[in-house]
Amino acid sequence: MNRKKLTTLAVTVFAAASFLGACSSEKESAEQTRIQVWAMGEEGNLLPELAEKFEEDNPNINVDVQAIPWGQAHEKLLTAVASGNGPDVLQLGTTWVPEFADADILLDLSPYLEKNPELAPDNYFPGAVESMMYGEKVVGIPWYVDTRVLYYRTDLLAEVGYDQAPATWDELKDAAAKLAARGDGMYGYDIDLNDQLVPVILSWQNGSEYIDENGKPDFGEEFQGALEFYASFFEEGLTPTSGQIEIVDAFKNGVKPMFQSGPWMVNMINNQAPELEGQWGTAVLPGNVTNTSAIGGSNLSVFHNSEHVEEAVQFISYLNEVDTQLNWYEISNALPSRTAAWEDAVFQEDPMLSAFGEQLEATKATPQIVEFEKIAQELLRMLEKVVVGGAEMDGEVAKFKETVDGILEE
Amino acid sequence: MKSKRKYKKLEEILITLLLIAGGVLVSIPFLWMIFSSFKPANEVLAMPPTLLPENPTFENYQNLFTNMSFGIYLRNTLIIVLFSFIGLFFNGMAGYAFAKFNFKGKEPIFYTVLATMMIPAQVTMIPVYLILNQLGLTNTMAGIILPGLAAAFSIFLFRQFMSTIPTDLIEAARLDGAGEFRIFFRLIVPIAKPIFAVQAILTFIGAWNSFLWPLIIASDQRLYTLSVGLSLLQGQHASNFGLQMAGAAFMVVPIILIFAFFQKYIIEGFTMSGLK
Amino acid sequence: MGDIFKYLYKNRYPYIFIAPALFILISFSIVPIVLAFGISFTDINLRGLADWSRISFVGLDNYISLLTDDVFIKSVLNTLFYVIIGVPLVIVCSMGTALLLNYGKNRIFTVFRAVYYMPSITNIVAVAVIWGFLYNTHYGLFNYLLSVVNIDAVPWLEQPTIAKLSLIALAVWKGLGLNMIIFLAALQGIPKEYYEAAKIDGANRWQTLRHVTIPLLSFATFFVTITTLIGWLQFFEEPYVMTNGGPLDGTLSMALFIYRNGFQLSEMGYAAAGSFILFFFIIVATIVQFKVRKADADY
Repeated sequence: MNRKKLTTLAVTVFAAASFLGACSSEKESAEQTRIQVWAMGEEGNLLPELAEKFEEDNPNINVDVQAIPWGQAHEKLLTAVASGNGPDVLQLGTTWVPEFADADILLDLSPYLEKNPELAPDNYFPGAVESMMYGEKVVGIPWYVDTRVLYYRTDLLAEVGYDQAPATWDELKDAAAKLAARGDGMYGYDIDLNDQLVPVILSWQNGSEYIDENGKPDFGEEFQGALEFYASFFEEGLTPTSGQIEIVDAFKNGVKPMFQSGPWMVNMINNQAPELEGQWGTAVLPGNVTNTSAIGGSNLSVFHNSEHVEEAVQFISYLNEVDTQLNWYEISNALPSRTAAWEDAVFQEDPMLSAFGEQLEATKATPQIVEFEKIAQELLRMLEKVVVGGAEMDGEVAKFKETVDGILEE
Repeated sequence: MKSKRKYKKLEEILITLLLIAGGVLVSIPFLWMIFSSFKPANEVLAMPPTLLPENPTFENYQNLFTNMSFGIYLRNTLIIVLFSFIGLFFNGMAGYAFAKFNFKGKEPIFYTVLATMMIPAQVTMIPVYLILNQLGLTNTMAGIILPGLAAAFSIFLFRQFMSTIPTDLIEAARLDGAGEFRIFFRLIVPIAKPIFAVQAILTFIGAWNSFLWPLIIASDQRLYTLSVGLSLLQGQHASNFGLQMAGAAFMVVPIILIFAFFQKYIIEGFTMSGLK
Repeated sequence: MGDIFKYLYKNRYPYIFIAPALFILISFSIVPIVLAFGISFTDINLRGLADWSRISFVGLDNYISLLTDDVFIKSVLNTLFYVIIGVPLVIVCSMGTALLLNYGKNRIFTVFRAVYYMPSITNIVAVAVIWGFLYNTHYGLFNYLLSVVNIDAVPWLEQPTIAKLSLIALAVWKGLGLNMIIFLAALQGIPKEYYEAAKIDGANRWQTLRHVTIPLLSFATFFVTITTLIGWLQFFEEPYVMTNGGPLDGTLSMALFIYRNGFQLSEMGYAAAGSFILFFFIIVATIVQFKVRKADADY
């Protein structure tokens, strides 16, 4: 009798388990196609709003958006790659594209470009186009973009004689020095020691390729010059080595009157320091040889095992229509990847945003190689040793070059 | 005699003060979490921070339920909790066998079980995923639940407790002609109630907070748990801390209540598990 | 052959009892660990994961490069630092708290049990935010308190050794709850007679504590030591949310190193090899514990 009970229990458990399993794979009606979309974090929470309209226009397609937390997205993608079970449409941060493209899990979209004019590369910022391509393949379509610009306190810079944002390295250094001289505990220009893009951007601006199109490092004089420029801010006390001074607060009270950051910072300043209105601005980054900034953002790709490629491409195409992108900007504040969208009044009239539009014309994508992340981490580690640990620059650069050669050889 | 009593009184006050000081120190982060969940967005990140909200608001909690599917996440979490209680019985049965039976291979099997406790969690994740994928259990509740059903730590605690149950009792039941399963469910489980209570709360906390695994297995948001929902509130660059704190508070408060309510049984359970 | 079956049939009950739990442990712990062991001898990365034909066997290469990887060695040393300081601290703190809480019987003491238990169930996101503030060099509460008594600001999370100690303090705070409960339970399980006997022998409080209470807590201590030791060797969450291994890799633990390589850099083979070295450390530490315990018991 008791054994019977146990058997019943076991049967119930497994029946319930398989029932729960069955629940999740809902029946699809014969003519409806269901496409699965993976989007990250907030985007994933907001995307269904746009998808609804798409479903209205295409009653035969059912869009299923799954939101994936940013912090765990990489793990989630790894398991998808391992099992071959992925979504149809996939949002990928641009820095992750090379890694996943190299694993051959992103479908080559070139055959679909002709039929879907929205996807043509000349619709997008040149920097974004670089991240679309991996070798000969089109592995993704830029969805939204971001880039680094200079944030500065107009009032404080005016006090030290700058009515406009510094436009060159020399001006930046000069302004920072004057601002830092305001007193103890005051700084000129903030650099986040954990931001892997800063040294890359500086070496571009100094005329180095950082890592060129063929994946070869360009670590010559220009590169080292850029790193020395980076380190000099810390040596001369223009930038704090402690990363714990909260940026919005320090911007508000003038401790850090200049820094570089992406578009998300505009809202953060508006929300957390509304009283600053009219006392700050954004501008294109000060340059040396060039004033290049890095382009980031996200691409939309199709997973290689997708069974609904046509529909997936159709959805991507819809998301990248100019109107949809403008709508998306309203919903999520993400900057449109299409140059045509920037002609809209929203972007032309807002001075905070127009700086981004201008900077986007002078951007490059991070090197499209799998090892980018690893090398960038090494570079940060090396700079930290110099700036915080007090190591000798020349020796550390030589060691870094060796490490990179080792990484690239593998 | 009088001075001794006075001394005793003084000592009690001293210890109470010590406990209060420690208690305050220990609970600051917790209180800060609760208070922050009532702060509007611009106040929660203010530097230097405020402890009590200046303009209290329920907005964060409203958001939690209107903008996110926290209701569905709650249901999934409860399902996981429910099923992990079945796992509890599996662990109890195994602990009983290790405690009260002699059988070939007992020692090596028990040590193998203990060894699984030492496996770093990061290393088995992808293999487990591949196994579940072969079984066709990815994107199912079963896939989320199964791997967590047995736990070495729990088996070990059950064994500890059950070895204190007198063997005579079991022998007597056997002489009365009771079957082994009857003995387990009718005799052992009632005696072992306290340890089941302890395990139940630990299981509850574990299942309640289950996070990475449900996310990995689910390819459908309808299978997400509360913790996964909570981490969805984190943006790539900026986060709404007030909302996150509301979510976190919403998750922690039930555990606190359960603990406060059951703490007597929990401590009793540990007491009797022979941990002395 | 027939004898084995006969034996198994005759003694089927214990096997039936352990079967469900064992089945799950085998499928989801033991088989995966064997697979992972195999993986540690290959160069599997994301590319290999997508297409298994691209995986190649590299023998002991992963293990050899780990032993010459400065970052890995640093993570091993950091982990030892955490364990050597953290484990005794957790044991002393949780035992101390339990002794204090066991002192009185009135309502306050029951309330405090819940209070001291709270850290162990506070959500890790909340923990990261609030401790990040407490430790902040410029706005943090700790440095504010120090400034009141004219002590210079301490870079809690910005200097490798101090950062390690700060993370240990955080982990002790978080680990206090469960261990305290275990000690409390053990304390309440000590029969009153022992104390009465000690009193009759004229032992003072301190002597009672040293010669009666603590020896009687030996199994609880052993249990807490073992589980804490295993937990601290796998130290992960605290550096992950607070410092991500920095500054200068000063807080990088072995588990975080493995996570970084396996899930962020997708070098699964390398990460698997690292985790077997960690696994080896854990087994050695556990065996030592059991040996010490046995020696104690003999005495």
